[in-house]
Amino acid sequence: MSLHTLRPAVRQLRTLRAVRAHSTHGSSASFDPLEVSHFNALASEWWDPHGSSRLLHLMNPLRLQFLSSCLSKHGDATKNMKYLDVGCGGGILAESLARLKGTESVIGVDPTPEVLKIARGHMRQDPALQRRLRYVGATIDTLEKVLAEEGGRELKEGWEGERTMFDVVTTMEVVEHVPHPTRFLKECMQHVRPGGWVVGSTIARTWTSYLTTKLVAEDILGIVPKGTHDWNKYVNANELDSFFRGQDGWGGKHGEDIVFLGCAYIPGLGWKMVPGGEKVGNYFFGIRRNSE
Amino acid sequence: MRPTLSTTTLRRLQLPFTLRRNASTTASNPSIYDVVIVGGGPAGLSLASVLRSSAWTKPLKIALIEGMDLTPAREWKPTPDNFSNRVSSLTPGSVAFLQSTGAWDLVKQERVQSYKGMEVWDGVSGSAISFNTALGSTSDIAYMCENNNLTSGLLSHIESLGGIEIRDKTRVESITNGTDDGTLDLTSWPVVTLSSGEKMAARLLVGADGANSPVRTFAEIETRGWDYGRHGVVATLKLEGTGEGEKTAYQRFLPTGPIAMLPMPGPYATLVWSTTPQHAAALKALAPEDFVAAVNAGFRLSHVDVEYIVSNVTKGVVDEFAWREQNTAVDEKRVPAKAVSVQEKSVANFPLKMRHADSYIAERVALIGDAAHSVHPLAGQGLNQGIGDVRSLAKTVEYAVQHGQDIGAVLSLEPYFEEQYFKNHVLIGVVDKLHKLYGTTSAPVVAVRSLGLDAVNALDGLKKFIMDRAASR
Repeated sequence: MSLHTLRPAVRQLRTLRAVRAHSTHGSSASFDPLEVSHFNALASEWWDPHGSSRLLHLMNPLRLQFLSSCLSKHGDATKNMKYLDVGCGGGILAESLARLKGTESVIGVDPTPEVLKIARGHMRQDPALQRRLRYVGATIDTLEKVLAEEGGRELKEGWEGERTMFDVVTTMEVVEHVPHPTRFLKECMQHVRPGGWVVGSTIARTWTSYLTTKLVAEDILGIVPKGTHDWNKYVNANELDSFFRGQDGWGGKHGEDIVFLGCAYIPGLGWKMVPGGEKVGNYFFGIRRNSE
Repeated sequence: MRPTLSTTTLRRLQLPFTLRRNASTTASNPSIYDVVIVGGGPAGLSLASVLRSSAWTKPLKIALIEGMDLTPAREWKPTPDNFSNRVSSLTPGSVAFLQSTGAWDLVKQERVQSYKGMEVWDGVSGSAISFNTALGSTSDIAYMCENNNLTSGLLSHIESLGGIEIRDKTRVESITNGTDDGTLDLTSWPVVTLSSGEKMAARLLVGADGANSPVRTFAEIETRGWDYGRHGVVATLKLEGTGEGEKTAYQRFLPTGPIAMLPMPGPYATLVWSTTPQHAAALKALAPEDFVAAVNAGFRLSHVDVEYIVSNVTKGVVDEFAWREQNTAVDEKRVPAKAVSVQEKSVANFPLKMRHADSYIAERVALIGDAAHSVHPLAGQGLNQGIGDVRSLAKTVEYAVQHGQDIGAVLSLEPYFEEQYFKNHVLIGVVDKLHKLYGTTSAPVVAVRSLGLDAVNALDGLKKFIMDRAASR
């Protein structure tokens, strides 16, 4: 079963809007009022363990497992880590990253104000997150501008030219929604320090994913608004692989630091890593910037 | 939204305990804790000790609250000829877990008695089943351990690890939800107010606070079950002989409930006799020598004689037993050695109940041990279930910490509930059915159950299966 079959409509709308924001550079005011009211109705469920985001919550530990497997590949230090989570939504991943033992700071970025309100409200429920986690209303393109406006360049020591640098940039369930995945990923990669990682997840463009996310979820069950997914935008692991291999200074000498791993939700068992599953449905990807 | 408890409910609970919801004013800001454990019994102490012995959960800020004074347990200096009447049977699985945390090393081993054999028989038909570890397993069936011994060992372990803030002689005055001060929103956090005035906000509040758990009441978790209409009579006995060599546990099913003699070190043994409240009161009222004779009657005379003696004889049980014993054939290999004396002040009784909470978890709440379930003592599983809860909850918390989850969130706690609830449910059900099956003298039922016991006795494979379940292997 694919995540997209059951993924919450909230996130669909959020990422959809993120896509628009990406493509129009922040002209996010032109939201469909119908979508906004739909979203408002669902937003309160983001952190409801039995709400529409349940599957995403259940998937979260696997994201951290994958991340930790990437970091341990080179025995990379996991102390004083700085993370950037692009498309953070309600903060499911961002909060977890901020709670990890070796984390110094996490910045969650999302262009949708309603979603960030949920994220910021939920963050206040955990004293451990204060001073470690911060949400910024921006896209990856506008991040620097917004950080400068907010006067929040506390990560100054990590600066490289014009960009704030991070140890890891994460982007979960986003690339399949952006109009130019490779351009989007390149933007993410420009925020990674040498020896750091981009880690994300997405879904393969296969007959299985077409059936589950387009035909069943949108056309038959209607649990996802029609047109939310553009199946043609789904990204296959081999496509990402060839893109990653073309990036100078990334992925090791022979692509050994480019990682893919499939995962699937199995009813009764929960989310499981499925090696080879990247060819079928949901999968994680990771690429390391070579150390200098 | 959890409603405020009515005063009648509170009266029924008979606890010096008030619940206030979303108190509009707080006298002082609560201190923030990751884990607040209410209850310093074996379950609560085990949890504290295991959370401190794992590298992942060691950094958690943990407090443990206990109403009683823990000093006597800390300074416990028992004498070798005196054993507490509060003894638990620990399975090899439970002991292995306590060994893995390091706590078992601090339990006084000379006061722990293992046994490798079990004699169980039907008090009406005489059908018997013998268990012994010659059936392909070399390890022990169980370990008899005084609760004091375990508690004292766990406390020493916690103190050697350091870092747990223990508040004993301290009652929980109230549990409320926290407030939102504009910066920090603690409305989902339980805030425990102690009799000392101290306030603790808990990321995870653990109810290890027994059958009438205030934490369970706060979380509005219902508990279901029934009273058996039976009392457990316990006592520490001295048996004939030196008590050297291999030890065996004995259990006889009488129509009023099982009577069990469980070995302790040397010539000592602990008695657990489940019977009617009237019988329990009568037994407790007997003079020591008559009590000893009644126990010997319980194992050796016909169930009709036992019933007659316990119901009607208030004085001179010694003579009554001696006279009836001459006319009763007893297979000495199948019964425990005769009791010769009962330790002073060791006879006590308590009502037997079956209870199971509908859930073990709620937002920022987890229940362990008796707060989650009470089981009939006939299979000696009560404390083992509690230790199973501790092992599972500690594992769940550790996983949540490893993966950056909020350890108090229901989603993080779900694996604990899923792992333990069904396991406990099955065990509680089996023990409950055993109690009912043996609580009758109805001829067809006795015939069928005896056939069952005889058949089981003949089938080593099945016996081994049952023994492995009993020992939680």
